[in-house]
Order: sequence, then structure tokens, then C-alpha cells
Amino acid sequence: MNTTMPETLLQRRGATRTLQAHVTGCVISRDSQQVAFVTGEGDIVLAPRADWGQADAWQVMTIHDGAILSVAPDAGPGGFLTGGDDNALRRVAADGSVSDLVKGRRWIEHVTTWTNPRDATKGGVIAFAAGKNVELRDASGANTLKTLEHPSTVSGIAFDAKGKRIAASHYNGATMWFVQARVDTPRLLEWKGSHIGIAIHPEGEALVTSMQESELHGWRLSDGHNMRMSGYPSKVQSMAFTRNGKWLVTSGADVVVMWPFFGGGPMGKAPAELGGVPGVPCTRVATHPVHDIVAAGFADGTVLIADSAAQKILPVCTAGGGPVSALTFSEDGCALAFGTEEGRIAIVDLSAR
Amino acid sequence: MSDATQASLDTDRLVPVTVLTGFLGAGKTTLLNHILTAEHGRKYAVVVNEFGELGVDNDLVVDADEEVFEMNNGCICCTVRGDLIRILGNLMKRRGRFDGIIVETTGLADPAPVAQTFFVDEDVRGKTRLDAVVTVVDAYNVLQTLEDSTEAVNQIAFADVIILNKTDLVDEVALASIESRIRAINGVARLHRAQRGDVALSDVLDQGGFDLQRALQQAPHFLEETEHHHEEDVTSMSFVVEEPLDAAKFQAWIGALLQEQGADILRAKGILNYRGEPQRFAFQAVHMMADGGFIGPWKTDETPQSRLVFIGRNLNRPQLRRGFESCRAR
Repeated sequence: MNTTMPETLLQRRGATRTLQAHVTGCVISRDSQQVAFVTGEGDIVLAPRADWGQADAWQVMTIHDGAILSVAPDAGPGGFLTGGDDNALRRVAADGSVSDLVKGRRWIEHVTTWTNPRDATKGGVIAFAAGKNVELRDASGANTLKTLEHPSTVSGIAFDAKGKRIAASHYNGATMWFVQARVDTPRLLEWKGSHIGIAIHPEGEALVTSMQESELHGWRLSDGHNMRMSGYPSKVQSMAFTRNGKWLVTSGADVVVMWPFFGGGPMGKAPAELGGVPGVPCTRVATHPVHDIVAAGFADGTVLIADSAAQKILPVCTAGGGPVSALTFSEDGCALAFGTEEGRIAIVDLSAR
Repeated sequence: MSDATQASLDTDRLVPVTVLTGFLGAGKTTLLNHILTAEHGRKYAVVVNEFGELGVDNDLVVDADEEVFEMNNGCICCTVRGDLIRILGNLMKRRGRFDGIIVETTGLADPAPVAQTFFVDEDVRGKTRLDAVVTVVDAYNVLQTLEDSTEAVNQIAFADVIILNKTDLVDEVALASIESRIRAINGVARLHRAQRGDVALSDVLDQGGFDLQRALQQAPHFLEETEHHHEEDVTSMSFVVEEPLDAAKFQAWIGALLQEQGADILRAKGILNYRGEPQRFAFQAVHMMADGGFIGPWKTDETPQSRLVFIGRNLNRPQLRRGFESCRAR
């Protein structure tokens, strides 16, 4: 074929390859030096920054006996934590060495970490969910700080931006806990039904859950006021606040749905919509850590990024590879990584050249 | 209502899920191990509850808490197994690791939330299909259990397949009376006798109990001789209308019926002959949740007619018959 000007960002500044597996997650280490993709076959693919442009150099290792269900950047500057349906939580260090943190009796379906934003080497907390419990550990992973029990299986966990509180979604609502409290006085936010995911506003103003009934539920944390955000044709599998907390960006429709969290919103306000692919559901969203940019992945494999202020849309890659199942920006904003149900993995270098 | 043609094309790539119910001690786990260890060359993922009687002999066993919740969709009896939505979704992330999934419920479980999960959740429907509810019944204790427990009655009423186990502990006369009692509750299910769970796999797996293409493929067994000294709480009733039906009238009638009496109607199935429509229309419902679609033309040896079966409580035969007959096209 006689190519002139490559059209998409992926072609211009990215690299991609295809695995024989469902990509269940992708994250980038806190120092933005390494991308990790994890799969339903128990594999992790590691791509150090120097190799972002050369997909065949990315290293594949099998680290779980079964599907990897959860992944997070480690609390320190480099490395990752992975949870699997082999009931194990493992640490993959920056050099690729693998160690066991937990070998339990339940699937490790969620893992997340918090780290001191000023200095990733100081402090930090690891949280993971197994069944109804959320366990908090220090950054070493060796010491359990506390185990938080919930009335039903935990479907999502999130730290607030300061790492002071952690929230878990479950049946009939969500529970917020103080991480360092000596005596636990959990705050139960009740709303009947099955809550299947969770996000906390970066300024701590609100907590939002995704619900089985294809809507979002929110609580204003200052007074517990309930918010309902509905109208989705399918369940919201992915949501993220923009860096300043102005917008909550979500999947679940054939456009990118953005709820305004300013000027009294989202109560009584219609969401903004960023054009997607007509008739094709958005499956994953991610928000940029530095600029007002959102990324969205769709059920046909399309990925795009958009400027949430000017509503300019830039295609990252065209359809193919099945539904987008993982999508993330690096903390320095220089990379976008994504994966699909049919095994496409890709990294796009967004840094200034 | 879904597009049945599309549904049948997609059915092959959906992983079948078999739900195994039965009272504590009926022999569910023995049957499960029999299925898993048989030479069928297939691999199964097994979802069990924590309080299982015996160990399960399989590579991939998932412990589940039966977490039932009510959908906020205005339908009072729409309860769903949230844990299954989660577990099935995660299991489907493994590629080609298994050919089917078997879900064992606790002894006291109501099968409705499991079945309704497959009607309600788009992701579960996108990757798996409910093949059948298989209920294991202990021949030695069943008559007493039915007296004591609504759950046991529900499990029989809901079944596509009933395994009458431990038949060696009961004589032939007793077996006949047990079978007639079971038939009075559920006249549609396939009934097989077994000892220590030794059933043919072809009697348990790949039953298509919720497959519209195979709805009412097997003629219902209804005991017309109504010499039951026992007034059943749950019964089956079947109706036939020879004349073609008006599709709109039927939809309106069945919709209203399920809305009003869905809590009492455990299952409903039908094959309908709509006027001016060469294809058969298949219909099924679990409580208030219904599903239907066209499933191809009548076979040459078939007389086009509409058949409908209900299994439930407080069913009023004359009222149901009048309602069904009022759907005739004029």
C-alpha cells in the first residue's frame, strides 16, 4: 500500500501488538517509566519507557494460575501489584521479579494503592478486596494495617486524593473508612440496589457508584445529599473524574458522557456528551493527569482522545481487536496505554517531541 | 422481545450454564462429581456455595456467597444473584479454559434469582446462556420434604430436569406415587431415576431448557386423572388453542397477566401460532420476566396450534383458558 501520512496517533507515535488473551487491565508505574498489561490467562506484559515504540521488545511473563482480575501501580515509584482468581496478590518489581504478598481463599478482585503525591518513596498504602473484606497494608506489603468488613462482596475500592479515607462499594450502598483511625467508625452511604463500581471526587466533594440498573448514584459528602445520574443504555463499567474534579467522565453510552460537578451540578444538569462512534458503546474512559483531556475506548476497538473544553476529538486508533477493556494515562501525562478483549495492546507516546 | 433468529445464530458461542438445585442431602454433590469425573472430554468451571456437603472434584471451583438482591425496576419479584453476575463475568475472561459452567445452589435456595440473572444482565447474556435448572430429589425423603418446605416445591416447579435419586431406598409402588406427585407440580420437566447420582450425562447437560428453539420440544406430561387426594400448592397447567392467535392480543394479555400474577407464576412456556405468520413464535417467562421470538416454520408433520404451559401457585384454570382463548384472531 502506498502510504503517505499516517492518520491516527497510534500509527504516528505508538506501538501495538496482539496477545492471545483477554486484556483485563493496564496501568503505568507511578514514576511513568513502565507500562503493564495483564490478561485473563494470568500473563503480565511489561514495557519499559525505552521500549514504548517497539512492541516486540515487551516482555511477557505468566505470573498467576488463572485470570488476573485486578492490577494497580505499586505504592512505590516502580512496579505493580496484581490480584488473580488463584486467590493470590503478587508484586511485580520494576526489574520484573515477582513475589507473593497474599495467598488467600478468595479471588482478589480489586487492588489499589495510594502514595504521597510529593514523594512516592514516603508512606503509601496498599488496599485489596477479597470477598467482603478490604485489607489495608503498608507500602512494604508485609504489614496488615487493618481489615475492613462489609455486609456483602466488595465491588470496587477507591482512596481519596489525600489517602485519608478509603471507600468500598457493595450491595445497598458504599462505606467510607478512615485509613489511619485507631477506632473504626465507618460511614455507611445507603442506597438500595447493587453497586458495581466506585469513584471519589478529587477534592473529596462527592462519592459516586455505578449501579446494576445502568445508572450512577452519588452522595455529596458534606451533607450526604443523594444524586442520581441516569439515562444510560448499558451498565457503566468505567468512570473517572477529571484532574480538577469539574467533570465525571463515564462509559455506558455510544458517546462519552460527562457529568458537570460545578455550578450546582450534577443535580438538575444534563451531562455533556463527547461524540463517539454512533451505535457503538463506550467501554472505557481515562482522564489526563495534567491537561483537560479525556480518553475513551469503544466496543469496536476504537480509541480516541478529546479536549474536554474545546470538544476537539483526535482518533488514537480505528476499530479492531474487540471491545476496549483497559485504558490509562501515565501520571506524567506522556503516555496512553490500552488493551482489548481480543488481545490488542498498545502504547501511544504523547510527550512533546 | 429479542430477535430469535439472531439469538439462535449466537447460541453456539455462548457458554452453557447448568444450575444444580436440590435439598441438603439429596445428592447434588454426588451428582456433580459424577458429571465432572465422567469421560466426556469437556472441562467445567464449578461455582459452589460455601457450605457444600462434600468436596468437589474439579480443577476450577469457585466459592460463592449467594448474594441475592432486588432490582430497582419496579418489578417486585425481580431478584437477581449479584455474585453470579460478577463470577460469570470474570470466568469469561479466561479463553477456552472450559466448555461449560455448573452452578450448585444451597439446599434452601430459590432457583428464581439464578434464572432471572440470565434475563436481566446484558453482560451475562452476552457471553453465557442458561442451559437448564436440574433439581436433584431424594426419593426416600421427598414426600416429607415437600410437606415441610416451600423451597423444595419451588425447586421442583422450576426444574427443566428432575433427577429422582436414591431410588434403591424406595420400592416401585412408592416410586410411582412420588413421580405422580412430582408431575402434579411440574408436568414439563424431564424426569430421570438415579442411584448415587448415576445419570447419563446426556440427561443433564445440554438440555436447552431456556432455549426458545427448544421450548416445549418435549410434550408436557400432565396427569389428567385428577385423583390427587393431595391439593398441591404449586401446579402445572397446559392449554391448547387450535385457531390462530392475534399477536397483539396475546402480547397484551400475557403482559397484563405476568404483571398481575407474575409473583405466583414460577415459569411459563409456549409455542404460538400467530395469524398470517408462517413461523412459530416461542415464548417463555420466569415470574415477570418474559422473552420470546420467532423460531422458524412449523414442521411438515406438525399441526399449527398454540400451546401454553404455566407452573405456579393459585393458578385459575378457567380464567387462564378464557384469557388464552380470547387471544384468537377474528
